[in-house]
Amino acid sequence: MGIISFILIGSSLVFPAVALWALWWAGRHGQLTHADKASLLPFDEQEPVGRMTDVVLNRPKASTAAPGGVAR
Amino acid sequence: MSSPATPGVLAALSPRDADTSADRRAELAEIDASTSGTVLLFFLAGMVWLLIGTVFALLASYKLHAPEFLAGEAWLTFGRIRTAHLNAVIFGFSAEVAVGVMLWLMCRLCRVPLMAQSVINAAALFWNVGLTLGIVGILKGDTTGVEYLEMPKYATPILFVAFALIAVWTIVIFRFRREKHLYVSQWYLLAAVLWFPWLYSTAQILLVLEPARGTVQAAVNWWFGHNVLGLWFTPIGLAAIYYFLPKVIGRPIHSYYLSVLGFWTLALFYNWNGFHHLVGGPFPAWMITISIVASVMMIIPVVSTAINHHFTMVGHFGKLKYSPTLRFIVFGAVSYTVSSLQGVASSVRWFSEVAHFTHHTVAHAHWGMYAFFTMTMFGSMYYILPRITQREWPSERLISIHFWCTALGIILYVAPLSWGGWLQGKAMLDATVPFLDVVKITLPWLKLRTLTGLLLAVGHVAFFVNLVWILARRFGPYRQPEPMILAGVTPATPAGK
Ligand code: HEM
Ligand code: HEM
Repeated sequence: MGIISFILIGSSLVFPAVALWALWWAGRHGQLTHADKASLLPFDEQEPVGRMTDVVLNRPKASTAAPGGVAR
Repeated sequence: MSSPATPGVLAALSPRDADTSADRRAELAEIDASTSGTVLLFFLAGMVWLLIGTVFALLASYKLHAPEFLAGEAWLTFGRIRTAHLNAVIFGFSAEVAVGVMLWLMCRLCRVPLMAQSVINAAALFWNVGLTLGIVGILKGDTTGVEYLEMPKYATPILFVAFALIAVWTIVIFRFRREKHLYVSQWYLLAAVLWFPWLYSTAQILLVLEPARGTVQAAVNWWFGHNVLGLWFTPIGLAAIYYFLPKVIGRPIHSYYLSVLGFWTLALFYNWNGFHHLVGGPFPAWMITISIVASVMMIIPVVSTAINHHFTMVGHFGKLKYSPTLRFIVFGAVSYTVSSLQGVASSVRWFSEVAHFTHHTVAHAHWGMYAFFTMTMFGSMYYILPRITQREWPSERLISIHFWCTALGIILYVAPLSWGGWLQGKAMLDATVPFLDVVKITLPWLKLRTLTGLLLAVGHVAFFVNLVWILARRFGPYRQPEPMILAGVTPATPAGK
């Protein structure tokens, strides 16, 4: 049982410690402050904000690309 | 499927050999191509398990109102078929599709191609070998009898090795990210890969290797069982919603702060929830009470997530007409709120007195695992597959069949069964009602479940046919000449409506 308790106590200490470290790291590296920047991360110049992606159903028959319109 | 643009195993492990000079963020198409073989492997295997799991599900469901059906063979009895269903859909379908979605999302958000794909492909192989052994073992009667850990001892180490490879590789991808800022989806994904090995190894140690005694076993069992749902599937489902919802409609998430609050409060409270599965069990009252309190506190992440998703969508509901991803993801997001609030109610003592040990719990299970998680994974696959195969979905009709059969099917499954389960619980508490009458009360609801299960099965087959078709277009003899997916197309209504 000794080794098992060791592993379990170890893991129950290590785990919260990792979580706290992650929170500290996030705070230190500006991950919790620059919300405006973070919320833009799914977008880029290829697929900017304002552009719908995933147009699959009910498309108009003669499909033409429209600048600044909708991709894919 | 190693692409020349991606580093090999050594480069992936060693910063010296890696392409660190490249401050450049990889192009989306390059990233998608690098993940293609691996993600396809996980999706295909997951979908095969979904079909197998659906057959087990229909058999189990039918047997509940026709118990004499296929009752002659031990391996076809309800106990084994039900457990085979659970393991096929949880560890086969849900886990494998989740890994595929996770890898794709992680690479995209880190802006790196998937490196040394062979490592992850080997993990996929191990996972499927372990799972096949496990499910055959369950059907043979070798189950451990511990829910969510039913697979026999000879299968689980293989699964553990596979999972460790996946976890390490996800962290390696993150380590080499070229985008330094983290998006909320990455928080959820990283947490999921760190949590799972901890949960799995602790549960294996305390339940299989050196089993705890007595009721402690049940406590560990439900600490694990709950956390598999709450700290593995839920974060991956939420990571997908937080990415695809803004991405499809082309609008950033309503409040990034709210999303971060949702993540940290989930991390804080969910781990304490496990014992709400044991309300009324032989445990110290404080243990159960802590879990109930933590369950009620879950209202904070659930409601903040719901508000955030809703306000992101406001003004963009018209886009549901065009995007299958959006349809499934919005359905999944709404179901996350509904199933979680149902879960909060189920954890409260007076509610649990009625609903525990009834079909109400099974309805809640499918509200969470199907209406939220499975629908979210379907939505994710609709987005990812055309990008990694560079082909469009071959059949719009099959997409519609898939969506309507699964959306209607699951609503008609879970809503009536929740009510039927409640009536069952009320009747069970009434000492004047003979037990056989309680069983009779459940029959119409169970029959309806079999019918809705058939509807879901039609949806699954429709999706599978479309999936095989898109692969045939990519790799088969009749290749589609032009990757039309990349042509921009304007829908009939203005964007934003
Ligand atoms: C064709 C659709 C499906 C049908 C008809 C179906 C039916 C069933 C049945 C009859 C049971 C046994 C309930 C009992 O023990 O009383 C069950 C259990 C379960 N199924 Fe499904 N299922 C389906 C799809 C799925 C999917 C796709 C998932 C997960 C992604 C899932 C997750 C579960 C879970 C977690 C349980 C255990 C629930 C509990 O014990 O409370 N099912 N299902
Ligand atoms: C705040 C959120 C949630 C709370 C407080 C909660 C609470 C509960 C409670 C109290 C039970 C036990 C009911 C009983 O046995 O009487 C339960 C069962 C279950 N929950 Fe949840 N739930 C939540 C969200 C979810 C989500 C999001 C999922 C799916 C991803 C899920 C999947 C399940 C499953 C599969 C079971 C059945 C376990 C079994 O008996 O086999 N729950 N939940």
